[in-house]
Amino acid sequence: MTAAYVELACASHFSFLHGASNGVDLLARAFELGHVGLGIADRNTVAGVVRVWLALKDARTKCHETLGEAPPDFKLVTGARLVFADGTPDIIAYPETRHGWGRLCRLLSTGNLRADKGDCVLRLEDLLAFHEDLLLIVLPASTRREDEGVERKVEKQTILPPDEGEALFSSNVIPAQAGIHRAAGAGFPVDSRLRPTAEVYPERLPCRQSRGGNDEGERDNDGRERGNVIPFPQQPTHDILTRALATLRAVAPDRVWLGAAMRRSGADQRKLAKLASLARNADVPLLAINDALYAAPEDRPLQDVLTAIRLGIAVQEGGKRFESNAERHLKSPAEMARLFRDCPEAIEEALRFHQRIRFDLEHLKYEYPHEPVPNGWEPLAWLRHLVEGAALRRWPDGVSAKVRAMIEEEFKLIATRPDLPYYFLTVHDLVRFARSKGILCQGRGSAANSMVCYLLDVTPIDPAEHDLLFSRFMSEDRDEPPDIDVDFEHERREEVMQYVYERYGRHRAGIVATVIHYRSRSAVREVGKALGLTEDVTTRLVSTVWGSYSSRMEEERFKETGFDLHNPEIERLNHFVAKLLEAPFPRHLSQHVGGYVLTEHRLDETVPIHHAAMEDRTFIEWDKDDIDALKLMKVDVLALGMLTCIRKAFDLIRDFDHPGQGQGQTYELRTLPAGQADVYGMLCEGDSIGVFQVESRAQMNMLPRLRPRTLYDLVIQVAIVRPGPIQGNMVHPYLRRRQNKEKAVFPSPAPPHDPHELRGILGKTLGVPLFQEQAMKLAIVAASFSPSDANKFRRAMATFRNVGTMPQFEEKMVGGMTKRGYSEEFARRCFDQIKGFGSYGFPESHALSFAILVYASAFLKKRHPAAFCAALLNSQPMGFYAPAQIVGCARDHGVEVREIDAAHSDWDNKLEPGAGAPAVRLGFRQIDGFKEEWAQAIMATRGTIRAGDPAQRIEALARAARLPARALRLLADADAFRAFGYDRRQALWEVRRTPTDALPLFAAADARELGQEEDPQLPVMPLGEHVAADYQTTRLSLKAHPMSFLRTLFAAEGVLSSAQVNDARDGTRAKVAGVVLVRQRPGEGKAIFITLEDETGITNVLLWARDFEKYRRPVMASRLMEVHGILQKSEEGVVHLMGAHVIDRTFMLDRLSEEHETRAQLSRADVFEHPQLPRDNVPRGRHPRNVRILPASRDFH
Amino acid sequence: MLAENIWRLGSEKLLPGMGRGTAAEGGGGGGLRLGESRVESPLHRSSTTARSTSRLRGYSLPPAGCQSPLRPPPHSGEELPIVFVEKLNNAMRLTALSRAAIALGLTPNLTLADARARVPELVALDRDHQAEARLLARIVAGCVRYTPMAAAEPPDGAILDISGCAHGFGGEMGLKADLVRRLKASGITAFCAMGDTPEQARALARFGHKTKDLLALPVEALEADAAVTLALRRAGLKTIGDLARRPRKMLAARFGDLAIRLGRLLGEQDRHISPERPLPPIFALRRFAEPIARIEDALACLEELGHEAAKSLLERHEGGRRFVARFFRSDGAILPLEVATGHPTRDPALLIRLFRERVDVLSDPIDPGFGFDMIRLDIGQCEALVARQDDHLAPSRHAEDLAELIDRLSVRLGARRVHRVRSENTHIPECAATVCAPSSPPTWEAAPEGEPPMRPLRLFDPPQPVGAVMSEVPDGPPMRFTWRGKNYGVTRWEGPERIAAEWWRRRDRGGRPRDYYRVEDAAGHRFWLFRHGLHESGGTPPDWYLHGLFA
Repeated sequence: MTAAYVELACASHFSFLHGASNGVDLLARAFELGHVGLGIADRNTVAGVVRVWLALKDARTKCHETLGEAPPDFKLVTGARLVFADGTPDIIAYPETRHGWGRLCRLLSTGNLRADKGDCVLRLEDLLAFHEDLLLIVLPASTRREDEGVERKVEKQTILPPDEGEALFSSNVIPAQAGIHRAAGAGFPVDSRLRPTAEVYPERLPCRQSRGGNDEGERDNDGRERGNVIPFPQQPTHDILTRALATLRAVAPDRVWLGAAMRRSGADQRKLAKLASLARNADVPLLAINDALYAAPEDRPLQDVLTAIRLGIAVQEGGKRFESNAERHLKSPAEMARLFRDCPEAIEEALRFHQRIRFDLEHLKYEYPHEPVPNGWEPLAWLRHLVEGAALRRWPDGVSAKVRAMIEEEFKLIATRPDLPYYFLTVHDLVRFARSKGILCQGRGSAANSMVCYLLDVTPIDPAEHDLLFSRFMSEDRDEPPDIDVDFEHERREEVMQYVYERYGRHRAGIVATVIHYRSRSAVREVGKALGLTEDVTTRLVSTVWGSYSSRMEEERFKETGFDLHNPEIERLNHFVAKLLEAPFPRHLSQHVGGYVLTEHRLDETVPIHHAAMEDRTFIEWDKDDIDALKLMKVDVLALGMLTCIRKAFDLIRDFDHPGQGQGQTYELRTLPAGQADVYGMLCEGDSIGVFQVESRAQMNMLPRLRPRTLYDLVIQVAIVRPGPIQGNMVHPYLRRRQNKEKAVFPSPAPPHDPHELRGILGKTLGVPLFQEQAMKLAIVAASFSPSDANKFRRAMATFRNVGTMPQFEEKMVGGMTKRGYSEEFARRCFDQIKGFGSYGFPESHALSFAILVYASAFLKKRHPAAFCAALLNSQPMGFYAPAQIVGCARDHGVEVREIDAAHSDWDNKLEPGAGAPAVRLGFRQIDGFKEEWAQAIMATRGTIRAGDPAQRIEALARAARLPARALRLLADADAFRAFGYDRRQALWEVRRTPTDALPLFAAADARELGQEEDPQLPVMPLGEHVAADYQTTRLSLKAHPMSFLRTLFAAEGVLSSAQVNDARDGTRAKVAGVVLVRQRPGEGKAIFITLEDETGITNVLLWARDFEKYRRPVMASRLMEVHGILQKSEEGVVHLMGAHVIDRTFMLDRLSEEHETRAQLSRADVFEHPQLPRDNVPRGRHPRNVRILPASRDFH
Repeated sequence: MLAENIWRLGSEKLLPGMGRGTAAEGGGGGGLRLGESRVESPLHRSSTTARSTSRLRGYSLPPAGCQSPLRPPPHSGEELPIVFVEKLNNAMRLTALSRAAIALGLTPNLTLADARARVPELVALDRDHQAEARLLARIVAGCVRYTPMAAAEPPDGAILDISGCAHGFGGEMGLKADLVRRLKASGITAFCAMGDTPEQARALARFGHKTKDLLALPVEALEADAAVTLALRRAGLKTIGDLARRPRKMLAARFGDLAIRLGRLLGEQDRHISPERPLPPIFALRRFAEPIARIEDALACLEELGHEAAKSLLERHEGGRRFVARFFRSDGAILPLEVATGHPTRDPALLIRLFRERVDVLSDPIDPGFGFDMIRLDIGQCEALVARQDDHLAPSRHAEDLAELIDRLSVRLGARRVHRVRSENTHIPECAATVCAPSSPPTWEAAPEGEPPMRPLRLFDPPQPVGAVMSEVPDGPPMRFTWRGKNYGVTRWEGPERIAAEWWRRRDRGGRPRDYYRVEDAAGHRFWLFRHGLHESGGTPPDWYLHGLFA
């Protein structure tokens, strides 16, 4: 008889820093070794099980499809290794049924929600409360780490509601053997029945006395408040083990095993004999395991490295803290049989155990919450009702045939899936809530293809008007849930999120997790440290990894830093880093930016819930892909800064009602006058500072060339200036065709096919494929892809960079197109373009949603520049530019901007009546370090400050608003007491002695506390010093530009101003100097773009990479930079200075004032100061917000 | 010149009571020398700690490349831009820079990432404040050659009160020159200045490199809070003179202790410095009118001296580790005897026991000749020893007994012949134990109860190859083997204990594991054998070795 075996104690790399192998590798290895199945049990988590399960499922289908064979009999079982905080030995728990899974998730949630993010505090009594339908393997040791088992303060723990008696019957979980419990527990919380009583659990385990002993909480080193810290217990002794077995056997007579492993540690056989007798005495069966941490013995070094990372030591110091050998891998059934030859029944027991498990993740059934459907309505009917009603309001004269056809098509599809109506209604519910609170929101992404979404007011785009394809959003053959992403104002999104928790409860709503993987930087850092390299070395290595595009540390990177791969230490580092990056290796769980999973029944019976690092957030431990695989649906609640800005601008305009200066118009995003020529005119000139999406340097340069005149032009503008199209060489063909320098040609296929088919697909973009939809349609129509192939093609595009599946599509597409009569050259060009934009391509619908915001912000900027400026400042930080440039731009457009003043300003920047047009009054929020509560207090005292001399008025203000000394000093330093009659210097001298805590006697008498003081005779502050101090305190100055003070000096050296540069002829040699605003290194990093600002405007400098290396120091260090170079002027009038020589003139700023360092703030787009978060090349971890701004720039520190 | 300028200032604003017992010297130097304290501070040029490292370079830099074998060799001839970094607010920031780094435009407080972006070839080292403090302490200790009143001003300054001390060095300027020369010789750049008060000297040393005029010093010289300095500058008050001209009341109302700082800087107020003085060594001696000739008497006398020394040690809360007794013979010969203990002690009884041990084992016994006329006991090395109360309920003297035993054995056998075996943090058996000093703490974990010893007490070095091993493939125990020409048949065995090689010591991350077995033959001999490597199909069978014998 051939041996059979199944490993039931196998940790994947989701046992963070314990397990060293990918679950899928484990699966493959187990299969290869001929195991009958595999059990994945990670430490207090089930985060990794879905991907393994999915891999097996995929393999089965593939097997079925390609080989036509019946899939092999291999059963994956999923559970968790429970690591207790109270000294109980580890217990591996596998759910036998769906009910058991629910219990396991509840159990883990309970532990998670007691602790901070990443920790789980479990006690044996928790298991006793949730033991039903769980098969338990008790292990002889505990693997609790010293840093685990820290409770939150009791009041900060999240308590999920217990099961109510009534709730039991609506539960989607049907317990298998819980009939008796049910009967007895009707109307009684299940939990309390099973809570350990003295009879069941006579003696408490050691260390438990500490509980409750320290509820006061204490602060750890980081100042974080901690609750009860359960002291680190000793390893469980024989007695504890016996007692734990007895306790568990008492509640779960036939569901307890004792696990034994043979690790080749010398006395294995004796230990096995002892465990066998222990098991016999406790009357539980012995079960064979190998407690695997990795797939193959070769993985041991990696596991040691992970252990070293966990312990914060170098491997050289690891010694006995590491395993002594490489035995913790999956072993062949024959070897296991040999190891357990003294106890073959243990192996049989493992097989029996495995067979007994009936649960499969397949059994997780998902139901949408019922909340959005009113009583008495069927969800589909209610959705229909809402949509029809909206259609009637939208088109009171009746719906066009096209729209009608779209609605019918969509409903046809919606009706096929019973949960879909719920999904639409849930999103609608969120949007409705946001609207009711006045929070702007707008759907983005592929949902804009749907007429139903449009009519439900989720998306702003009428798909009929733009010929959008519903099938791009969802289709029958795309067997995945739809994805509606809704953006909310970034400052008020939290309200929406809390609404979700409130409406559905924390046990039914959770944010999706994001698995944070090791990326080159973090891998090099941590592995380097674990290998004993100094921080200096790893920092140097990391410094050359630009972004995280490289999934491997390439050899060149090492060479660049002067390290040789033949050096054994470096070679070793490279080896392990590559191992961590190839998988990719998870590092920890984090919360997704805004994806919620909502369920009808308890979510915590489907997946464990965790505390997020952010206050008031709870998230589940599965990520987006896991959710998709299990067909749970997710609602995205995203944040978008521009929506905040637009709403604030609307509010400012509405509330500003001064005769002749604005009538307090009420705007709404939907009803904004469309197609205004002056708005497009402004954009055509490249005047777009602050405008959504098109404010980057590259976009600004493109605007005068593209000359957008319609909304669709903006769609193209948004989509075209992106790394994909730029690298795919689409920009120039499109521009040439648009400027009528070249005819758009649409090759035709051979006769039987429609000769105009390409015109239909690419007509809107003049024959250049710009959008993902076009690529897909091209594949379907011109290359005869089946829709499901096209969909795979779409996914391949998205993951093109790291998965080499594109070549096979190239052949298929080129072959398909040539077969239909297109020239091969044309077909290849099409494919190259598609390949070019790869994952950076925008879907058209997404670009459309954004274009609407582009137009809205441009409209505000043109028509209401003052309100737009104030709203932008009030929404900071967002966008590309620093407040100084936003204010400068507004002033260039004739807006009067007034200084911060204690007597006039509010917290926010606001509008004031000005000469002919509204003026902007800067608010206290522009002062670094000023607090909103102080501002509110000052605002509340308006009008109560009596006249008097300046010092009296300041004192009165300080007393009335109860301002602390710091607030007064900040105001004085920001020169905000001018209305009281003091300039900065006088004010700061005065406030330093202004008492802030009124003595009771003086307060009662309302008398001045301060006597007159003789005149200190301070010297007058020169304007240069004022400007420098302005920059220091508020990062902008309305008094003058710093460069204006230096102009005569520079002029004497022959340095031109920006205005002169922009007027000079093409090809002129010029010197220019200015304050550095932005330094960018887009695309492949061949050139550096630097923007310099002086009092007359800005100059764009371009520096080639080789020159950059020469001038690295001045480029990186300058705040005031002088550049010599040659001017290049494009036809559209865009001027660039091709830098040839860079000089750091920062010290000149000292001339303004030798005391005040003039700190010009770099724009938020500066890649050096604000490095772009490296994007994950795996789309799963990508932050949806990152889609917005930049052409991928590389940080090259 | 410099001294004169300061002097003039000082003399105008001389306060009574400023003299520190040196008034007697008055009249020496043309009226200006009257009763003033001289404070000199060998300080680094700037108040920024940053630059201080250039002076520390000689000390705090580890020898080139010792931190990592990967550091590229220093460029020959040219100075490397070295910076010292510290983690401040969660970012690595430069806190001290070498001259070469300053010349490249780097500044303190810059983040390391920024600095590296500008100067990729930067050499960044971790700042070691303790090493700096130690260096400063050594400098201050060395300054005792000039004055007993020398105090460290951490992190990078020192104050010397040289009132009345300068004449030995050719006057103040001579003293200063000597100080600078000596510091320079040890690779330290020092900036010195003299003033009437410590603050004055400090300010001049740090900020006086452009001007020696106190009133022209920048307000930073007050070393007030950064916010206060900024406020003064914003108010347009940029020099000490600007402040000195305004009423002190005005400053006090706004800036708290600024007025006091100003007063001290201007020499209107003084503060005392607390110099560090080394403690005198402890010894006890006895002279005899008549030389004593009997060893017993001499040892009895030594015991009395021991009691005296113990009294002094007790006062200081210290115990001695090394004791030297010297017997002065009347013919002029001095016979030294030295004993050392593993732990600090001040127990005279113990001491005398050790001395007796020592006398007993002398190969060349003490010859009193015509007698000793003096006996002296020196405590060569002291360590802190806090008074301890014995546990009267369970007087467990076990540890002390052992320590005493170790001391006695060391004295008798020689200090290098008594060892303790320490467990090392490794699985590899032959590396798992090393010898160390007997006084180091025990490191072995207690063996689990009821378990037989897993390792023999002594190992063969190197392991002995054994032949003709019969074992079950792949991982069975040896059933029969030959060692030193003799055959052994295994009757009982346990194992294997598999110990893998330490992969990090190998280039290929590999290495053969060893399977250890404890085996017993029919005659009851117990062996510790291992198979070196695993059976691989097709490969040569692995070798076997005997690594040790159990009893």
